[in-house]
Amino acid sequence: MTTIAVVEDNADNRLLLQALLGERYELVEFDNGVDALAGLSASLPDLVLLDISLPGMDGNEILARIRGDARLRPLPVIALTAHAMSGDREKYLAAGFNDYITKPIVDESVLIDAIERWLAKR
Amino acid sequence: MTTFPLPGTAQHPATDPDALTRLERFGGVKLLDEMITLFLVNARERLAATAAGIGAGDAAAIENAMHSLKSSAAQLGAMRLSRLCEQAEMTARGGTAMDVVPLLDECCEELARVDAWLGAVRVERST
Repeated sequence: MTTIAVVEDNADNRLLLQALLGERYELVEFDNGVDALAGLSASLPDLVLLDISLPGMDGNEILARIRGDARLRPLPVIALTAHAMSGDREKYLAAGFNDYITKPIVDESVLIDAIERWLAKR
Repeated sequence: MTTFPLPGTAQHPATDPDALTRLERFGGVKLLDEMITLFLVNARERLAATAAGIGAGDAAAIENAMHSLKSSAAQLGAMRLSRLCEQAEMTARGGTAMDVVPLLDECCEELARVDAWLGAVRVERST
């Protein structure tokens, strides 16, 4: 089964993602960057859903470390964020995220389509 | 549908019941109930973190807490609370921690209203 790593500090958002994605994919959840990086290295997932605002190491730094690691570098990483101001999408794509999905999640198909699109490119 | 006399405007209602219907569609009444439980715990933690951030003069901590609650509130249809959090997030980003005090007070009052609204929704949708 395809494995997706979810890096998200809010338990309610993790529960929601489990409800939306849990029947399609195996989800591994992390609520902070340190645990996420260790977990990604230990068992490479197929894709990462990465929140931006996290306590301690934020999503941008986690992404930089993923891209700086030879094994993790090819991972598709989708930003899942409430940073939804004008220009944010371009900013995060320029930073190296493969895709950008905003919270709150209103249309689950937008998220699933993005995941499937990037899984197909692997 | 339960309605409460929450402060809001016709253009910007305080609450959005469609958000709750959406969560039910995503995972039934069980998901909705669990989301409400987690949200209420999380909301109180984020407001406490904001108060601590104000006390410590830590604008970044306030910004993070309000950013997080903004998103969770919107997912649960607590739109006025979400907008207040966004104002607090922007205020913390652009000003000093103390500038957030009146917004935090408003957030606390609004959360009490949201708590009552969600409690009524729970009873209504579980029967």
